[in-house]
Amino acid sequence: MGISAAMTVGSSGLRAFQVASEVTSQNIANVNTPGYSRQRVVLESAIPTSHNGFAIGSGVQIATVERYYDSLLQQQIVNAQTSQGFDTTKSTVLQQLEPSFNDIANDGIGTAVSKFFGAWQDLTLNPAGTSERQVVLTRAQVLVDNFHSVSKSLTDSISLQNAALTPLTDGINKILTNIASINDQIKTTQTLNGNPNELKDQRDQLIRDLSTKIGITFTENSDGTTDVKLNETGTPALVTGSTAGAFSLVVNGTKSDVYLNPAGGAGAVILAPQPTKGQLGATINLRDTIIPGYLKKVDDLANGIATAVNTQHQAGFDLNATAGIAFFSPVTDAATIAINPALNSTRLIAAAGANPNAPPAALPGDNSNALAMAKLQNSTTAAVAKIGSVTFNSYYSSFVSSVGLDVQSSKTTVTQDEAFVKQLTTLRDSNSAVSLDEELTNLMKYQRAYQASAKIVSTVTDMMDVAMGMIR
Amino acid sequence: MRITQNMTANNAVYNLQQGQARLDKLQNLVSAGQMVSQPSDDPISGRLLLDIGDKLKAYDQYASNNTKATSWLKFTGTALQGLTDVVYQARNVAAKMNNGSTDPNIRQSAHDQLVELKKQLIDAANSQYGDQYVFGGANNLGPPFSNANNNYAGDSAQLAVEIANNTSQAISVTGDRLLKGTTTPAGIPPTYGTVDVMQTFDDLIAAVGDLATPTNVANMVTANQNIEGGAKQLSAATSDILSRTTRLDNMATLNENNKNTLLSITTNIQEVDYARLGVELSNQKMAYEASLSVTAKLSQLSLLNYMP
Repeated sequence: MGISAAMTVGSSGLRAFQVASEVTSQNIANVNTPGYSRQRVVLESAIPTSHNGFAIGSGVQIATVERYYDSLLQQQIVNAQTSQGFDTTKSTVLQQLEPSFNDIANDGIGTAVSKFFGAWQDLTLNPAGTSERQVVLTRAQVLVDNFHSVSKSLTDSISLQNAALTPLTDGINKILTNIASINDQIKTTQTLNGNPNELKDQRDQLIRDLSTKIGITFTENSDGTTDVKLNETGTPALVTGSTAGAFSLVVNGTKSDVYLNPAGGAGAVILAPQPTKGQLGATINLRDTIIPGYLKKVDDLANGIATAVNTQHQAGFDLNATAGIAFFSPVTDAATIAINPALNSTRLIAAAGANPNAPPAALPGDNSNALAMAKLQNSTTAAVAKIGSVTFNSYYSSFVSSVGLDVQSSKTTVTQDEAFVKQLTTLRDSNSAVSLDEELTNLMKYQRAYQASAKIVSTVTDMMDVAMGMIR
Repeated sequence: MRITQNMTANNAVYNLQQGQARLDKLQNLVSAGQMVSQPSDDPISGRLLLDIGDKLKAYDQYASNNTKATSWLKFTGTALQGLTDVVYQARNVAAKMNNGSTDPNIRQSAHDQLVELKKQLIDAANSQYGDQYVFGGANNLGPPFSNANNNYAGDSAQLAVEIANNTSQAISVTGDRLLKGTTTPAGIPPTYGTVDVMQTFDDLIAAVGDLATPTNVANMVTANQNIEGGAKQLSAATSDILSRTTRLDNMATLNENNKNTLLSITTNIQEVDYARLGVELSNQKMAYEASLSVTAKLSQLSLLNYMP
């Protein structure tokens, strides 16, 4: 072992601190890159050699460049983001629906119902009056229009949710293919003893992105790849190594069913039950359960009112002393409810009750049926079959209140989710994110060490010059 | 815990957002002036507000019904006054002729007066309010009385109007009870008397005689007693109308009171307390300004500032 050994030690230091500075600069450059995990060089002293009877290290070497990564935290973030994805989608859509039922600020179905029965009240005071009769028809039309409008906005929202599935599953598929191809690159890099830290960061970020859209579980393999499974019944594989599964949509009547061809699978099969988590789950839940639930309530109210009014109307007699015909037809739901097309004249409104001294069957000046009709508004027994023992207005008010409650609780859940995800992200950042001050300190540290190593080389050069001089 | 600049920045953004959201909410409350502007603001109060809103609409409707029913009754009262006047005039004529007269001209004159008065009676009894004959019950196919005979062509139905929740008030005074002395249908009020006023007029006209016919004094006495009874019958109907009007009046007051109570509940729920909001707003504003200032100052700190 000669003097050149010291030269080697110095140059190993130069090399090591150059790499260390490069890692630091990489960290600084990626301070704002989403999902980037800071890296650090792990230095170790090189294998000692024995000379002059002493075992002295042969300099410094870089054991590895590792990234700060906490897989447990990743798992928690993935789960939290799935809930957040679900709740945010639900809350957004519900908030869009709420104005349709905001009877506090605007006149909606509730007011239309009150005014419709109010028109019958007015008719009791002048049962043969043409203008009073016309008002009844007009108020009925307003009521029908209100039902149509609310029903349409709900049905539109349902088709909107259905349409939203296409970009959603496309996005998911793209992420799945990306994860699979990055897995492949990681595996190759690792086989070649390369350092796939950045690739892993990208993949982990993709997994977090994926987790807002669907519920997933993932396992990290020894070859550096990550397998992803759908966190639903059967846990079908979404990514296995470098193969990715794909979601597809198959039209089934007015809506689309979600199919999945699992990673390495033979073909797309329907997911039964359909996904329940993440944005995808929320969209399906809104489309199949929540909004149809609202729609059914409105339909039941429309049907309840129409049926009760028809029954009462048919018990009365019109100005021609013939029995009343159905007032509303059809009466099935809020979308199709209409004033009976046969009710084309104000004379056909049945304000009169039966004449006890028949004939004629009824007297045009009688108001008893109009009075009975007006009293339907406060009746709790008029429409028991559909809406239970409550008045129409009370039924609608409690429905509006329940929509309000849904919106309020979904907003609260979203706030909680945000706070939770933020907390987890902070924890992840605490471990993995780049601190500029820290990197700058490292930079200075490495710079000094580099300078010192260079000094060793130059000193050894001087020493060699001295030794060479001795030869001359 | 290890803290990085980006964590601080993210935290700052999150907290500034929260502060901004609180300010926005307060600003909304102040500018809207009401606590609940959509159901999700407060679903429970929202429900109450909707219920009260429905009730207020109902009270408005009852008030409108009440006003119209009162007008109807007032009109009926006026028509009834006309009838009463006619009956009183007939009674005066009949009283003068109670013992008959030997002067054919006086007999004829009394006879003519009574015939005219009966026509007036029928005209007044056929009064119309809107499309309805006020004394015709539910029948407005034609006038309830005619000059051809003494039959009542209306019916005995009592038209009713809702003046409060499930409370109706009958507004009809039917011609059969009023001028025919009918008490049918049995047991259904009101009953004013048993005198057939129409027939009594005919009896008077027949008993008083004319140019050729002498007065039938015995019949005259009976008819006179009957017309007296008829006058009482009409006055009973008048008091009936008055008592119904009073009831409507009371009900209107009651409705108005209920309405005011509900309005005050609405106000309690909906009205924002500007003083409290003002204090809260200035607190939040201060907190927001402080966090802005701290964020701006702290995010400038960096080792870079001190490196050569």
